[in-house]
Amino acid sequence: MWELVKLSLRAIIAHRMRSVLSMLGIGIGITSVILLTSIGEGTRLYLVSQFTQFGTNLLAINPGKAETIGIPGALGGTTRKLTIDDSEALERIPGVEKVVPMAFGTGRVEANGLGRSVFVYGVTSDVPEVWQWGVRIGSFWPAGDPRRSTSQAVLGPKLKNELFGSANALGEFVRIGGARFRVVGIMEPKGQFLGFDLDDSVYIPIANAMRIFNMDELIEIDLTFTHARLLESVEREVRRVLTERHGGREDFSVTSQAAMLDVFDNIMNIVTMAVGAIGGVSLLVGAIGILTMMWIAVGERQNEIGLIRSIGATRKQVQLVFLVEAATLATLGGLLGVGFGKGICSLIRLAVPGLPVHTPPEYVVLAVSVSLAVGLLAGVTPARRAARLDPIEALRAE
Amino acid sequence: MSPGELFRFSARGLSGHGLRTVLSLLGVTIGVAAVVILTALGEGARRYVIDQFASLGTNILIVLPGKTETSGTVGAGGVPNDLTLDDARAVQRSVSAARHVAPVSMGTEQVSFGERRRQVAVLGTTHQYKDARQLLMQRGSFLPEEEMSRGSAVVVLGPKLARELFVEQEPVGQVVRVGGWRMRVIGVLAKQGVKMGMDFDDLAMVPVSTGMQMFNRSSLWRILIQSGSHSDIDLVKEAVRRVLVDRHDEEDFTVITQDSVLSTFTAVLGVLTLVVGAIAAISLTVAGIGIMNVMLVSVSERTREVGLLKALGVGRRQILSVFLTEAALISSLGGLLGLGLGWLAITALVRLYPVFPASPPAWAVWAALVVSLGVGVIFGLLPARRASRLDPVQALAGR
Repeated sequence: MWELVKLSLRAIIAHRMRSVLSMLGIGIGITSVILLTSIGEGTRLYLVSQFTQFGTNLLAINPGKAETIGIPGALGGTTRKLTIDDSEALERIPGVEKVVPMAFGTGRVEANGLGRSVFVYGVTSDVPEVWQWGVRIGSFWPAGDPRRSTSQAVLGPKLKNELFGSANALGEFVRIGGARFRVVGIMEPKGQFLGFDLDDSVYIPIANAMRIFNMDELIEIDLTFTHARLLESVEREVRRVLTERHGGREDFSVTSQAAMLDVFDNIMNIVTMAVGAIGGVSLLVGAIGILTMMWIAVGERQNEIGLIRSIGATRKQVQLVFLVEAATLATLGGLLGVGFGKGICSLIRLAVPGLPVHTPPEYVVLAVSVSLAVGLLAGVTPARRAARLDPIEALRAE
Repeated sequence: MSPGELFRFSARGLSGHGLRTVLSLLGVTIGVAAVVILTALGEGARRYVIDQFASLGTNILIVLPGKTETSGTVGAGGVPNDLTLDDARAVQRSVSAARHVAPVSMGTEQVSFGERRRQVAVLGTTHQYKDARQLLMQRGSFLPEEEMSRGSAVVVLGPKLARELFVEQEPVGQVVRVGGWRMRVIGVLAKQGVKMGMDFDDLAMVPVSTGMQMFNRSSLWRILIQSGSHSDIDLVKEAVRRVLVDRHDEEDFTVITQDSVLSTFTAVLGVLTLVVGAIAAISLTVAGIGIMNVMLVSVSERTREVGLLKALGVGRRQILSVFLTEAALISSLGGLLGLGLGWLAITALVRLYPVFPASPPAWAVWAALVVSLGVGVIFGLLPARRASRLDPVQALAGR
C-alpha cells in the first residue's frame, strides 16, 4: 500500500514542471473562490455589526402596511395616525423595557452665523438606552411627558464640530427650523449607518419636532424588550394592542431587528455563494487540466503499469496509484490556493483597512476538501483507463 | 515551410491526439462561455433598467422637500418649509420650458366597494401626471383638467385594484370609499406592472388637493416636471431652483433629474458587469495553464520529429511558429466553441424569460475572442521556445 503511494509521489516529483502547472490551475481556482467568499463574508459581518450596534432586542413600528408598498415609513398618511398615545400604550406591554416615539425630517441648524442642513430627530430621552448609544458630554433633557416641549437639543459630534469647532457647545443656543434650542449634550461618535451619517444630526424632544415639521403622527416607534426569547410574544402583543387602538385595522408594520438581520443575512449569503460559484468556474477548468494531464500520464506510463501488474499488483491497486496522484496534485494546489487567497486578503486588509475581508476557518477546510474531491473526480477516468490496460499489451507498448 | 504547411503540420499534431486536444480546448470553452453568459446577464439588467425608466416618461425632473448635504436619501420625513400647491403653481407659471408640472401627494388608504376592500397606495395628482408618466387608460378617463386646489370627488383605479374590487362588474361610474371619502370611479389605468418599485396596477389616483386633505398633509410628496426637450433639462432645473428658492428664502428642497438617477444606475451596473466578467475570465488563465501543460508534453513527445526538422534545415523561428500555431489553434477553437455555447444558453434564457433582454455586449464578445487567442499564444510561448532551442543532434537521438 505504502509502496503504491510512494510510486504516485515519485511520479509527481519526476514531472516537476507538469505537476506544478497542474497544481497552479487548481490553486488559482481556489484562490479566487477564497478571495471572493472572504469579501462576501466580510461584508455580511459588517452589515450584521451595523445592525447589532443598536442592540438586538429591538422592534420598530412604522405607519402603513408593508404589504401594499415597499417602503412604509416614507409614505405615511394612514387614516389612523401612529401617535404618542400609541407609544404609551405599548409601554404597558409586559416584557417591554423602553419605548421611543420618533419623528424626523431634514432641517437647517444655525449657530455662530454658520448653518448646516442635517437630519433632525424628534425623540425622547430614552434614546441612549434604546439605541445603545452614549452621550459624550452633558446629557439628554430630563425624562417627562413626551407631549411637553422643552427647547433643549443634543447634537451629533460631527454637527457640533461643524458649528462650534473645538469650542464648548454646552449651554449655547442653536436655531432649528426657526426655533431656539439650548444645547444640553453631545453624542458619542457613531459613524455611518447604511449611508446615514448618524454623527451629522440633531436630537430634539418629539413634541418640538412634530411642531417644527407640522406633523400629527409619528414616523416610527422603537421599543426594546428585556430578553430575546420574548420577541414573539412582544411582537404579538404589539400587534394586538395597536390593532385594537386603530379600530381593528392593522395599518402599521412591525419589524424586528432579528427579522431584518435575517433578510440581510440571506441576501448576503446568496450573493457570496453566487460570486463564489463564478470563481468556481476556474476550479472546474483546473480540474479538466488535471484530467488531461493524468490521461497523458497513463498513456506514457503504460510500460510501468504493465510491469507492476505482471509482478502481482491488482487492477484496484493500479487504479489507486493514479487516483492518489490526482488527489495529491489537487490537494497541494488547493493548499497553495488557500495560502495565496489568505495572503491577498491580508494585503487587502493592509492596503484598504475600510474594506471588510474575513475568511472563516470552515471555508478553508471546505476549500481544501473541495480540491481533494475535484482531484479524485478528475482522476477517476484516467485511473480506470490505467486499470483496464492488459498487462501484456502494456508491457509491449512503446 | 509555407504558412499553409505550417498550419497543416500543427493541425496534424492536434488531431493525432483527439481526446487530449478536446480536453485542453474545453477549458477555454468553459471560460469564454462563462464570460459571455455573465456579461450578457449584466447587459440585460442594464437594458432592463433603461427600459423601465424610459417607460416612466423622459426628460423628467423631480422636486423633493428637504435637503441634506450628507446623505443620498432625501425626502423621507418632514421639513420645516412645506412644498405646496402654490409652489407647483409658481413653477408652472414662471418656467415656460416645463411642459408638464404635476404635484404629487401620497399615502396609503383602504379602498372599499360594498363588502370588498383593499389597502393600497393612493396618489394625489393632476391630469398632467398622465402625460408626464406616459400612462395609458384601459377605460374611462384620467383625472379631469381643473384648478389644482379644486379637489373633486373622483378616483382613477389601477387595473389590479379594479379587478379585486369589482371582479366582472363595470367599475366606471360606480362609487367607492377611499378612507372615509365617497368617490366616483371615472377611469381604470391600463396594465403597467411594477415600475421602479411602484406598483401602478394596484393603486388609486385622486385629485391632488383631495389627496392632501385625505392624508392630512400640508406638504406635497413630490413635484414632477417634464421639460419640453432633452436639451432644456438643465435650464429647467436651474429655473425651478430659482423660483423655489425665491419663494422659500432658502434651498430646503432637492431637484433631481431622472436621467442622473438613470446614469448612476447604469454606471453601477456597468462596473458590476465588468467585475463579474473579469472574475469569470480568471478561468481563462487556468485554461491557459492547461494548454501550456499539454503543449509541454507534446514538445517532449515530438522531440525526435523536431530534431529531424532541424536537421533538414528548418529554422528556429519556424519551429517556434509551429508550436505557437498549435497552441493558438487550440485556444481560439475553444473560444469559438465557448461563444457558441454562451449564445445557445442566452437564447434559451431569453426564450424562457422574454422580459429580460439579455444579450452579450459587443465588447465582451470581442474581448473573449481576443483573450482566448492571446491565452494560446502567451501560454504556448514557453513550450514553443523549448522546442525551438532543442539541439538537433540530441533531439534526433531522442534525449
